Amino acid sequence: MGGRSMGVGKLVGCVAIVVAALVTLGLSVHHDVQFTASVTTQNYMARSKADMRQEQCIYSAIRSRLPKGATIYTDGQFWTHVQRLDELSTTWAVPQANRADAQWSVTLVPAHGQCGGLALKVTRI
Amino acid sequence: MSPLVVLAVGLGLPGLSSALAVAGRSPVVLFLAPLIGAGMAAVGATIELGVGGSLVADYAVVAVIVNLAVLAWWLRARRAARPRAVTAQVSPRTWGWSFLTVVVLLGCLALPLSALRAQQFGWDANSIWLTHALMVYGGHHVLLTGLQNVAYQFSNPDYPPLVPAAEALAFKFFGTGDLHLAPDMTALLTACALGVVGIGIAATGTGPDAMAVGIGGATATAGSGARRAGRIAGIVAAGAMCVVAFAVSSAYALDGYADLMWAAPAAGAVIWGLVLPPSRRALGVAWICAVAASLTKNEGLTTGLVIIVLIALRYRPLSLPGPAARRWAERAAFVVLPALPGLAWAGLIKHIGVSDEFFKSVSTETPLYRAQATVAGIWLHLHVLPVALGALLVGWLFLRRDRTRSRLANPAWLWLACLGSLVTIFVTYVDGWLPIQGWLLNSADRTTIFAQVVLYAELAVWMVIAVEGAFTWMAEQASARGSSAGERLPEVPDGLAEPVPEWDRGGPAQ
Repeated sequence: MGGRSMGVGKLVGCVAIVVAALVTLGLSVHHDVQFTASVTTQNYMARSKADMRQEQCIYSAIRSRLPKGATIYTDGQFWTHVQRLDELSTTWAVPQANRADAQWSVTLVPAHGQCGGLALKVTRI
Repeated sequence: MSPLVVLAVGLGLPGLSSALAVAGRSPVVLFLAPLIGAGMAAVGATIELGVGGSLVADYAVVAVIVNLAVLAWWLRARRAARPRAVTAQVSPRTWGWSFLTVVVLLGCLALPLSALRAQQFGWDANSIWLTHALMVYGGHHVLLTGLQNVAYQFSNPDYPPLVPAAEALAFKFFGTGDLHLAPDMTALLTACALGVVGIGIAATGTGPDAMAVGIGGATATAGSGARRAGRIAGIVAAGAMCVVAFAVSSAYALDGYADLMWAAPAAGAVIWGLVLPPSRRALGVAWICAVAASLTKNEGLTTGLVIIVLIALRYRPLSLPGPAARRWAERAAFVVLPALPGLAWAGLIKHIGVSDEFFKSVSTETPLYRAQATVAGIWLHLHVLPVALGALLVGWLFLRRDRTRSRLANPAWLWLACLGSLVTIFVTYVDGWLPIQGWLLNSADRTTIFAQVVLYAELAVWMVIAVEGAFTWMAEQASARGSSAGERLPEVPDGLAEPVPEWDRGGPAQ
């Protein structure tokens, strides 16, 4: 292959790489723009913020309804609620794996007008 | 606004002197300082767990020791430096390019970060990172007993402390009245790590002398057009990479997951340590990135170790002449030093009897079945692989000389880092006990983020080289025509190449 045709080949290779990179990176950037738009709609943000308010409300409820350092057994109909209670009680109450080791039973129950439709139910064991 | 205050004051300020000591006048300092601060906070959390005290006290001790060490080093270096090193000047035009790069990167990062106002809060963000952050926030006793408490087994208690430490620090600043501070901090730190990646990619378009200020200087020898085109391509590629990394991670980058938070600094370690020309500055930035990755997640630790070993082999190659024992001692130091913080956490966690649930029992599925499912599951998320391979092939055919002239590393280093990460993830899936299909469905899109980001970065680097190569070729053609007519273009037309400070020249051999 002559020097000239090698040079032209290099130019074609450069163009191919630049086009491939621009298209690939561009598609990905486009995806992110679309994603950002989808999570910043009024409806989406309203739902997200409501979830956040609910979480903050449960966090505060645990601290207002239980004494600091209380050993608790988290229970409930949904395992997601049980786990959320364990998470949000951190630094205030001490979750126990066994009910027998706990002083308090803590559950999330459906309720109107409290933490976004949920309320904290605390029972002495 | 609150998370930005914590980022700047709580993490950036304590890390600023170290960032300046490592990176000098490079714009990477802006993004590196908070990352260093987060690393120091993670070390503080490690001390909180292992020794006692609270995060603020332990972080303050670490920050004071590090800053005193930097001050001592700086005084010693200043005394030893020749006058030229101290007075090395940077031209206003180079500052202009640096400024433009930072503005473009901040603009590009602002786009995905604007979604933070949606206040998303992912599952792991709660069950792992917020839980651990509250434990770190609560002090030694809460942290130790919390991690050992079987009721918290769901939170993967062995996970490293960088994200929880940064989040807990935010709570120390502003209280726990807004729990969303936690995912906000993670997203901002991720953006900083991507800024480091971006500056590194921008520097590939400007050559080794660029290391003086990050993006100054040039290697194109056939005219300022090629140099300018390379710089512009570098900045465009850097900006695009910042957005692309968020795109690859989708919601996980913004709702408090830490997968991009380890992948981004790991990618930064690859770009600075295994792509850019070797120098003390590049090595320092790469090590800091590797430490940040290894202190963020277990996958970050294993991948960080792979990268650290590769960097050691690149900077101290096996073919290096000299006493073998001394060379191996140097290589060992190159590995142990940056690996120490991550390994210290892993050792401490093992010492207090904490482990995660992934390897607690044996799977009922055959290894072959798990291996096949894992390959298929990972492959689903590597759409960019064929394009990156194509760019590698074409680039290696036509642009090898341009890459060598830019003193950029052999692309094999980057591919080895990517492969190493994929192999460790593959082994984890095959060796674990969780049902493989469900496990892959829940996590393969996150565990492959690093590989995807690195492959996109490879594509971006080849794009920069290709733009510069094409313009260089065209300039050479014009030069050949000009010389046949009795004219020649000057080799370095506008004196943009900046002197590298003397203290930055002592980098190891390539």
